[in-house]
Amino acid sequence: MIPIPAFLVLAAILFTIGTVGFLVRRNVLVALMSIELMLNAINLTFVAFNRAYPNEHTGQTTSFFVIAIAAAEAAVGLAIVLSFFRLRKTVRSDSADLLKN
Amino acid sequence: MSIWFALSPILVLAVGALGLMMADAFSKSRSDLALGSFITFLSAGLFAVALWIMGGVPAETAKLVAPWIILDKFTLFFEATLCLGGAISSLLAGGYLPEHDLDRGEFYALMLLSAIGALLLAAAGEILALFIGLETMSLGVYAMTAFRRTNPRSAEGALKYFLLGSFAAALLLYGGALLYGATGTTSLTGIRDALTSGQFGSLRDPSRLPMVVLSMVFILVGLAFKVSAVPFHMWTPDAYQGAPTPATAFMSVVVKGAALATMMRVMLVAFGDKGSASWASGWPPVVAGLAIATMVVANLIAIRQENVKRMLAYSSIAHAGYLLVGLVASWGSGNPQVAAEGRAALLFYILQYTVTQAGAFGALILCGSRGREAVSYEDLAGLGRRHPAAALPFAVFCVSLAGIPPTAGFFGKLYIFRAAIEGGFTGLAVIGLLNSALSVYYYLRVLVYLYMREPAPGAPQAIPMRSGYVTAALVLAGVLLLYFGLLPGRSLEMALSAAKSLI
Repeated sequence: MIPIPAFLVLAAILFTIGTVGFLVRRNVLVALMSIELMLNAINLTFVAFNRAYPNEHTGQTTSFFVIAIAAAEAAVGLAIVLSFFRLRKTVRSDSADLLKN
Repeated sequence: MSIWFALSPILVLAVGALGLMMADAFSKSRSDLALGSFITFLSAGLFAVALWIMGGVPAETAKLVAPWIILDKFTLFFEATLCLGGAISSLLAGGYLPEHDLDRGEFYALMLLSAIGALLLAAAGEILALFIGLETMSLGVYAMTAFRRTNPRSAEGALKYFLLGSFAAALLLYGGALLYGATGTTSLTGIRDALTSGQFGSLRDPSRLPMVVLSMVFILVGLAFKVSAVPFHMWTPDAYQGAPTPATAFMSVVVKGAALATMMRVMLVAFGDKGSASWASGWPPVVAGLAIATMVVANLIAIRQENVKRMLAYSSIAHAGYLLVGLVASWGSGNPQVAAEGRAALLFYILQYTVTQAGAFGALILCGSRGREAVSYEDLAGLGRRHPAAALPFAVFCVSLAGIPPTAGFFGKLYIFRAAIEGGFTGLAVIGLLNSALSVYYYLRVLVYLYMREPAPGAPQAIPMRSGYVTAALVLAGVLLLYFGLLPGRSLEMALSAAKSLI
């Protein structure tokens, strides 16, 4: 059986990739994908930890809810990106520079 | 007591939101939707008040939904406060949206649905419920921010808010996942028990302590984004400026209030015990640092603003700093008496801040009709002489935001700083006081322009709008402001009783 820490390390790596991708990439769609990656890493963490506490299924049920919320978030996020694209003809976040001090 | 009655504030909002969506689809005129939304908020708030008067939810009823939703007096206090903020915002929307050609009914449904998330967030006693509440609240607010569809600033503000908000939510949830791994439970009281007693056997094992600390850092960062504390505030001025002003009012009072409620629960319940493992109670100095950074940076930038709405956005960040001072004071160095007074001060501050800040945005709305909006200070010049009735509310709410007696803002700050001194954070209270004095400059600048300046010849002038909804909102906020300012005793007593129920 694959030990639990292996899953946790994989999840941590995925989460780091998501974080770095969000902070580094300037394409809004890639930033959205990075957030999804982070949420999936979190799901993996929850499910992996659930194996250490087999009496209850808290981790597994949590991950189901997180999947549903991630879908709702993607829907709203893509709508916002679309409305931004319609007005500015770009999806690069460094072109979001109208609002300044 | 029936569980349906115990959950009635949330259920009333849900029924109202669905009802308004149906009414929007089948009715020809949209003007009554604001009234419907106001009545929904009002009745939800009254249900919370009724539950309070009946002595709160009995323990055996509350047990049915625990630990996911906690139904104590703390929750009821926040439910009433958040509904009050929502009620004022929906009245403002009723005046603002038709005036600025945004009259689409889904705004009210979004506001109510988002408020459901806010109430759930304030009541959440478990990581998953907390996350669901947070996201329900945030998704509605993202959509409200992007509501001015033809305005690129609105889309840009929403984009920044959405990206940083969901990033912060993901950080928070990862913190929750690590905490679940370290303690084996996701309920906040369960986490506290695990951290203090080690009954899960996990914390006897020192290798898990870094995980607890890391998870606390993630959760703190995620919540700091939501209450817009420096250095996690970058999205705030942009989102506040881009959003339609009623949505800005909603964000600055309801979203911030709910985020602060959950911050209190997480920090004081799960991590608040002095005896908890290792660094788990080491957060007060960190939050104190955040509070200092928030107050100083926000006030210094607010002074330099020329745009009034942006100034109010920075002012709302500065108030997040004062709220964080209150959070540190709520910890009370582990002394329950000091802690209860600190929590009561914080709750009272949120209550008066809800009225004051929503009222200030309402006054800004009143000062600008379509195409003649009050955008910069210059636009406000001479308004006090030309339109005294429109200038007066702005002056009153600015005085209260500045914390000048006898307004509610003065007592809010007084109690918070006093609680900080009693909790042993004298330096923090002094820095807060100095910042408060600094902020008087930019609040009074509004008054100077309103009453002492004349507009430059040929310069654009703001023309106040006429709306019964906005007037009603301002009267409601103004009356409550004076009530909290002149007779703070009763509400402070309620805050204390709510604070004591937080365990």
